Amino acid sequence: MPGKDFLALMLQVGFHRAGLIRYTGFKSSPYTEGALLYGEKLVPGQARDDVASQAEPAPALLKEPTCEPGGT
Amino acid sequence: MSPEMTEPEIQKVQQGIKEKYDRVAAAGSGGCFQYPTGKAGMELQGYSPELIKIFPPEVLAAFCGVGNPFSLGSLAPGDAVLDIGCGAGVDSLVAAHLVGAGGRVMGLDVTPAMVERARAHQARLGLANVTFQVGEAEALPFPDATFDAIISNGVFNLTLDKEKALNEAHRVLKPGGRLMLADMVLVAALPPDLGDKVENWFQ
Repeated sequence: MPGKDFLALMLQVGFHRAGLIRYTGFKSSPYTEGALLYGEKLVPGQARDDVASQAEPAPALLKEPTCEPGGT
Repeated sequence: MSPEMTEPEIQKVQQGIKEKYDRVAAAGSGGCFQYPTGKAGMELQGYSPELIKIFPPEVLAAFCGVGNPFSLGSLAPGDAVLDIGCGAGVDSLVAAHLVGAGGRVMGLDVTPAMVERARAHQARLGLANVTFQVGEAEALPFPDATFDAIISNGVFNLTLDKEKALNEAHRVLKPGGRLMLADMVLVAALPPDLGDKVENWFQ
């Protein structure tokens, strides 16, 4: 799932201050990359803050597989 | 969940993920991922050198995370923390160290073999404030508002129903609780010949 779609789900279920903070550079395939995502559960009476951020993917830190192709 | 997946396809995905992580549990130290794992992976993701040096090599070798969820915020002494998809327990044990004796950490994983490895690592370190159990992200076996923080590392991408898993995470967090995730996301469209393959879930 693209990060922006995952973020949209986080907001949909009620998280606020949700954001894709940054990519980690770890790739499990040419199509996927690690990302750091953050959200908070609202305190009753607290105003929502729905500003989400999304950084650009980081340079690859791809390692040659030493076993079968894998992912996570 | 992908609406076009049939029940046999769902079962195939679940079985494939289980078999893959049974293999990871049995293999011990990584080697089956296309990114750095073990101590090198932790160092590249900025885990604290002070934390890394207190863990024995066999525990460090089990790290297969895709990022560092602890870089998203601090855990306070006394916090209650849930690690969804704890695997061999490395992040749970990091969290247990950070929250101290007054805190508690629950590591949850769908693969019994990984939970057994996590318990062995816990015993090796002698930490009493962490517990591991088998369970699913889509049906968290905890009451509402139980945890101050949830961490997870490379797991939500493997859940078939991400909305349900996120709803469950939201439910078990206390008000003001933090969700701190490292996970795999798509950064490019899958080619058509790959996009529909059930095997993509667990390769």
